[in-house]
Amino acid sequence: MIWKILEVLIFPGALFILAMSLFYEWVDRKLYARLQNRVGPHLAGPFGIFQPIADLIKLLSKEDIVPAAADKFLFTFTPIIAPTLILFGCMFLPIAGPSGIISINGDLIILIALMSLFTVIIYLAGEGSNNRLASIGATRAALQLVGYEIPLTLALLCGAISARSLSLRGIVEAQTSYGSWIIAGPQIIGFAIFIVTAQAEMERTPFDIPEAEQEIVAGWSVEYGGRRLALFRLSRDLELFLLSGLGATVFLGGPSGPLIQGLEPFLHTIYFIAKSVVVLVIFTIFRAIFARLRIDQVLSFSWRYLMPLAILLVIITGVVA
Amino acid sequence: MKAPGYIFAEALRNLIKKRATVLYPYREVEKIHLPDGFRGKIEFDRPKCIGCQMCFRVCPAKAIEIIEDERGKRPIFLIYRCIYCGQCAEVCPTKAITLGKVFENVALRKEELEVR
Amino acid sequence: MSFEIPIGPQHPIHVEPLMLKLKVEGELIVDVDIDVSYIHRGIEKALELRSYPQGLFLAERICGICNCAHSLCYCLNIEQLLGKEAPPRAKYLRVIVEELSRVHSHLLWLGHYFHTLGFETLFMYFWRDRERVMDMLELMTGNRVTTSYNVIGGVRRDITPEIDSKLRRMIEHLRERMKYYEAAIRSEPSLLGRLQGVGLLKPEDAIRLGTVGPHLRASGVKHDVRLDDPYSGHEEIPFNVITYDTCDCYGRVMVRIGEVFESLDMIAYALDHLPSGEYRLKMPPFFKAPVGESLSRVEAPRGELIHYSISDGGTNPFRYRVRTPTLANLASVAAMLKSRGDYEVYIADVPAILGGIDPCICCTARVIITDEGKKTRRITTLTELERYARERGVRM
Ligand code: SF4
Ligand code: SF4
Repeated sequence: MIWKILEVLIFPGALFILAMSLFYEWVDRKLYARLQNRVGPHLAGPFGIFQPIADLIKLLSKEDIVPAAADKFLFTFTPIIAPTLILFGCMFLPIAGPSGIISINGDLIILIALMSLFTVIIYLAGEGSNNRLASIGATRAALQLVGYEIPLTLALLCGAISARSLSLRGIVEAQTSYGSWIIAGPQIIGFAIFIVTAQAEMERTPFDIPEAEQEIVAGWSVEYGGRRLALFRLSRDLELFLLSGLGATVFLGGPSGPLIQGLEPFLHTIYFIAKSVVVLVIFTIFRAIFARLRIDQVLSFSWRYLMPLAILLVIITGVVA
Repeated sequence: MKAPGYIFAEALRNLIKKRATVLYPYREVEKIHLPDGFRGKIEFDRPKCIGCQMCFRVCPAKAIEIIEDERGKRPIFLIYRCIYCGQCAEVCPTKAITLGKVFENVALRKEELEVR
Repeated sequence: MSFEIPIGPQHPIHVEPLMLKLKVEGELIVDVDIDVSYIHRGIEKALELRSYPQGLFLAERICGICNCAHSLCYCLNIEQLLGKEAPPRAKYLRVIVEELSRVHSHLLWLGHYFHTLGFETLFMYFWRDRERVMDMLELMTGNRVTTSYNVIGGVRRDITPEIDSKLRRMIEHLRERMKYYEAAIRSEPSLLGRLQGVGLLKPEDAIRLGTVGPHLRASGVKHDVRLDDPYSGHEEIPFNVITYDTCDCYGRVMVRIGEVFESLDMIAYALDHLPSGEYRLKMPPFFKAPVGESLSRVEAPRGELIHYSISDGGTNPFRYRVRTPTLANLASVAAMLKSRGDYEVYIADVPAILGGIDPCICCTARVIITDEGKKTRRITTLTELERYARERGVRM
């Protein structure tokens, strides 16, 4: 029992996931800066590795302002629910072994549902702050969801179909027993669709439309400051961890790899992190080389290109499997 | 020709390039190169000044005040008003004024920003 | 359902205070109201209180980025008033610095423009390469931004062989870079989607609304003060006026990129053909100008810049008037931002359209009368103001 609690709270549970997500933010920022020929974070810790933590602490210590017009309930609870939701999702990731802390049949579906729910939370957060710019941002977030959600789901499900399992554990074990990753073969298309749509899920360039700074200031998050903003930022980091972990699990074999007796949890963790950092690097490069799209362009792009591609992928997967 | 992600190669090349920025206020202050002829904080050579007050009259920012000391009339320069135009250095008949290379003119008290 | 959203007076896309009140239906903009009166600095009045040589340094600070254009325009104006002309070498040196500052301004704009479109990486690259130009400006004039290079009757400093060779190296480097960027912008679909067909302004509208500079040239109108009214040896220096007839934001980007190439060529030509001789007329620190008036025009990076002065024979101008290019261009922004027919403008296009004119808001102010009791605001037109002044016996 005590081991289970420690597992949930410390390794590979909440504390480890939080620390890793802050580390992923650092990787993202540093790499992004280097791609742009800048330094990136460099002050806190060696190579600025503690910068995300420093930012978080700084935000937490700021004054907490609730706008008079805001919906008090939504304004209080959405910042709490957002990171909780994603943290819960991260518990499904098989980090230190072939199965996550929670592993049930069909947890892939739960994860997909959680991610959509997160967008709904964002919508509520935007509308709840009762600001015109925020409500435009919230509307954009909801509109964008219509565009990317189906291709994202299809891409992940095709991975699941080729592994013949809907649970992450099953997917990982299938890849171990085949001896090859799912990405080898037609699922490379699925991986590409996943990368693009995950970018939209995380609201990063070129899909950072809901919080476009230059258009609608900060979109749905414009009214949030201090610790509420810190919580939203944390949930963004967690999402980065979740999605790069998910990509690594479904397409790159997750924590599987050559093992040595007695060191399994350690090696599993190493493999998982190495693979998900690869996905993260792809995310970062992707964000560095595009301009932000317009909301109508996103919708037409995803319905004109992503959807047919995803459906084609379903057909191919069905034929191959 | 449309090619999504055209700058991909350039971005990757930047990974191995030296960064273009300087960690200026923290480290690498020595990397800041100022050219000769840079117009920075005023340097005043008291013995050369003959007290003609030309600098006072041309200064567009009223950054020069004339006071009297033991050797007669002389200017003091209020750097917090100076716009580094270099007019005073140009008109001074004895070249008592030069614009130096100090550009970090921040101080807590006004008096620290007066060149005497 | 339509509601109003404010862009400004403080907004991430422009550091200067400008207020756009957008009336939107969903993402679509149906109406727009522009308010530019947040920054009235009284520079024109202040210029009347300074002697001619002192005023130069104030005129230069009307705008930081196009300071070369402002100081050049001021110098030309006063020289015209005095009936003098700068020596030929000074004219060429002025062209070099003016074109350098045009290059730096265009690079700044390009970077900032892509930043407003969410393309941070290109923004960083452009500003990195702009740094080379800034270094050259610093080397030539003694400061990065406020150059204080042009003075009445010539320029402050001469060029040395060292500067000459560094300039040439910079030109080579920048040409390479600009070629790369041009190709990048031409082929990046995510950028083209945000630029093409956005902010359409037909040539006849552009002329009717009085737009100037690259903004006008992107609508296919060949207008450039350097060509129409050469003011500093431009009749000897060959250059092309870049025009694009796409009439949209894409054209605006491409015109500016083309102009960077032209400016680099002009600098190279001026370096090759630099006349020898004096670079500065001897001028006393104080002088009186003869009674009269004079008007000078300069092609600033943002468009046609006009300075106008009246002298009553004293050491100070009696009246000084500045017309900045942004003021001329702002009228067209209102026209471009309104959706009509199948021309649709989205909120996401606002930064692209507003940024497209290269706005520089300082000194673009109008008088607004705010009636505290009635809580109303109304714009006072020039004629009203004139009448008001006449009634109270104030000379305009
Ligand atoms: S540099 Fe210009 S502003 Fe500064 S003291 Fe001299 S004349 Fe005045
Ligand atoms: S112009 Fe030169 S000599 Fe005359 S008062 Fe100023 S510093 Fe002294």
